[in-house]
Amino acid sequence: MMAWIAFSLIALVILNSALCVVRSTDLVHTVFWLALTLLGTAALFVHLDAEFLAAVQVLLYTGGVITLMLFGIMLTRRIEGVRVLHESGNHRRALASAVAVFGAIVTAIYRDKQTAHAVATDLPGTEELGQLFLQEMVLPFELLSLLLLAAMVGAIALARKVDP
Amino acid sequence: MLTAALLPILLPLACFFLLAICWPLRHLGKLAGAISSAVAIISCLSAVRLLNMVMSGAVDPQEGFTHTATWLVANGRTIAEVGIHVDGISASMLVVITLVAACVQVYSLGYLADEPEPHLGRYFTWHSLFIFAMGGLVLAPNLLQAFMCWELVGLCSYLLIGYYWTKPEAGHAAVKAFWITKFADMGLLAGLCVLYASTGAFEWDVRLATGTATLISALIFMGVMGKSAQVPLHVWLPNAMEGPTPVSALLHAATMVAAGVFLVVRAYPIFAQAPDVLLAMTYIGAITAFVAACTAVVQDDIKKVLAYSTCSQLGFMIAALGTGSILGGYFHLTTHAFFKALLFLGAGAAIHAVHSNSIHDMGGLIKKTPVSAVMFIIGAAALAGIPGLSGFFSKDIILEEMIHGGHWVPLGLLLVSAALTAFYMTRVVVIAFLGSPSEAVEKAHGAPIVMGAPMAALTILALVTGYAGAQLGGLWGGTIAFHVTPVGIAATSAGLAGVIYGVLLYGKGIAGPSSAGLRDFILSGPIDTFWRGTWDRGILPTAKRIAWTDRYVVDGAVNWFGWAAIKGSEAARRLQTGRAQDYAVAVIVGVLFFVLYGAVGG
Amino acid sequence: MTEVFAQPPGLTAYLLLAAMLFSIGLYGVLSRKNTLAILVSIELMANAVNINLVAFSRFSGDLTGQAFALFSIALTVAEVVIGIAIIVLMYRSHKSIDADATTALRG
Repeated sequence: MMAWIAFSLIALVILNSALCVVRSTDLVHTVFWLALTLLGTAALFVHLDAEFLAAVQVLLYTGGVITLMLFGIMLTRRIEGVRVLHESGNHRRALASAVAVFGAIVTAIYRDKQTAHAVATDLPGTEELGQLFLQEMVLPFELLSLLLLAAMVGAIALARKVDP
Repeated sequence: MLTAALLPILLPLACFFLLAICWPLRHLGKLAGAISSAVAIISCLSAVRLLNMVMSGAVDPQEGFTHTATWLVANGRTIAEVGIHVDGISASMLVVITLVAACVQVYSLGYLADEPEPHLGRYFTWHSLFIFAMGGLVLAPNLLQAFMCWELVGLCSYLLIGYYWTKPEAGHAAVKAFWITKFADMGLLAGLCVLYASTGAFEWDVRLATGTATLISALIFMGVMGKSAQVPLHVWLPNAMEGPTPVSALLHAATMVAAGVFLVVRAYPIFAQAPDVLLAMTYIGAITAFVAACTAVVQDDIKKVLAYSTCSQLGFMIAALGTGSILGGYFHLTTHAFFKALLFLGAGAAIHAVHSNSIHDMGGLIKKTPVSAVMFIIGAAALAGIPGLSGFFSKDIILEEMIHGGHWVPLGLLLVSAALTAFYMTRVVVIAFLGSPSEAVEKAHGAPIVMGAPMAALTILALVTGYAGAQLGGLWGGTIAFHVTPVGIAATSAGLAGVIYGVLLYGKGIAGPSSAGLRDFILSGPIDTFWRGTWDRGILPTAKRIAWTDRYVVDGAVNWFGWAAIKGSEAARRLQTGRAQDYAVAVIVGVLFFVLYGAVGG
Repeated sequence: MTEVFAQPPGLTAYLLLAAMLFSIGLYGVLSRKNTLAILVSIELMANAVNINLVAFSRFSGDLTGQAFALFSIALTVAEVVIGIAIIVLMYRSHKSIDADATTALRG
């Protein structure tokens, strides 16, 4: 019972924030609603016994990504203030696409016999996760760091000011 | 044997190619003419040698000598062959052709001496081609080769009639000749197709059901009507006089128009199985003879008189063939070739002297150009059927066959035509050659020897050929013997009456019945008007409608595909908006499609 | 009805939550005009994927799901970095971050 209450609260936070993200007209508001959604997700991870992941989520997403977004806003706004661009025309098409995709996913969920009877099992803890990274999954782990390096270098190369 | 047969036709063909390809040679008109004439003479001599072979028995005159090469093969079976077939009939016709052609070419050297040299070269090139084509026609071993050479001869006619192509009338005449004979050739082609469908070959020596034979003969005869100028398809022949006079002598008097008669003689085994067609031929021939003779009476242009006269004599030949008298028709063809060519060449000499075609511009020419005038008069007498000359003998045979067959109406028409023939020739002779000279004649000069010699040769033949009847008959598989018969006497009297009347009317000036209305009617060319009307109201609008269909429906359908492609691409182009979100939607749609496909199909 | 709520939420519940979040994110990607806002919506979609992975990991007892979720987070961060760089470039050349501003590929 308690599990359901917890889940429902978190789900509510997540979904409401998400809706506000996509419907907000002020860009800064949008980013902050995103932050709230990400925090909600972190809470969900804790609920799902993935504490390490929740921590990473807060650090990277809520900390890093939001900061990046805010920088982005600052770099691209007009002098007179954050320009709100009018949202126009595509709502119906976007809504139809979203509903269609949702329908497809739901159909896929309910077709699979296994999901209905899945039972929560005890998960190993963070220590095992760490061992997983440094033993079976060491290669992707290292490659990931390379990827991040590449992303950094690439972003700098792309966005540096070129002397005229 | 084979070389002897091929030589008369392949030599002119080689000359044609030489003159056609080697244009510096052709542009030296007189030299080209000399070469072409020399080749024609050699061709004539080899044709005589071939005839000699046939007459001496080296080749059986009835069976003949055939040599063919396979030409068209389909489904492993030979459909058509080309080659030569030499027998009594074709060998003698080949001599006629090459002889008249040689005479005409030599004559042209004098008659067309004032022409610009490049054009003269062109003239002789076509002449050489003509000898080949006509020779290929008479030596053809089957009807298909005959048809091909038939068309080629028609082409030569078009080219030679249109020699003076800067004159609009000449171009019009050439096209008219070609179009009308082409219209008739549709029938001939259809006949050949039916023949092939019935027998699987193009031979004339076949047995057919009467209905089929009638159909084939009728269709072939349609082609003959066009080529040999039978009513109502005769209207091109007077217009063909726009060509140079030697061309009229060769093509439109002696040889090409006789090709139709020759074809009937060749294909007679088929015609013999269709008595209805033969009967129709008798009547059509007789009617043509009569109508053309009437028209000839009122012409002032000497060439037009001779043209209608040719048409009339062809009617005689066709009528003869209709009654079953191959010998009569063919004999008349041979004699007619010589004296009609002579008449045309003589007319050419007169035209050359006074620089005009009208007989009223030529009076008393006998005083200024006695030799050519006398030769013309001999030719006219032969045509009129004066006893002793060749025309007399050949006409006699035709009329006797009429009586044998009991065809009284055609006989009557032919008798009247014979009288008219004598009458109108007398008219021409009296007005143009006798009487007092007009001022144009005062300045006239005689024809040079290069024109006179061929005429002399033809005159001799016009005098002599009548007596060769017995030998020719043996060559052609029958007997030609001369008897004094009632119809012969009747015909001769009719001819003499015509002559006397003509002398009285035009020579002595004794007034006779005049019919200006009839003259005007005949000169208005009613049949010609009919065909003109058919062309203007029937064929041209139909052709325009078909052209419209081709441009807008057929081409329109094809063009529609282009238009549709353009419109389709313009519509598809609107998918490319350049906006990333639109492309994202497209991706979503694609993904959903595959999901659906996997869920439903997979 | 009550027996559904007697048990803790099953896998289906989490998957449905993730699906809804994904769809909301998709709607945002397709309808927002501001490029930065589109980037934010992409974040939502990535987040939904992570929830899916962790949920599966929880209900199968296999840690691989969590590991993948970690990789996914790292990848998303890299993607955001590059995305913002591109947006900055776009702003520099077009003076606008309207999603309809760049139509150079228009046919």
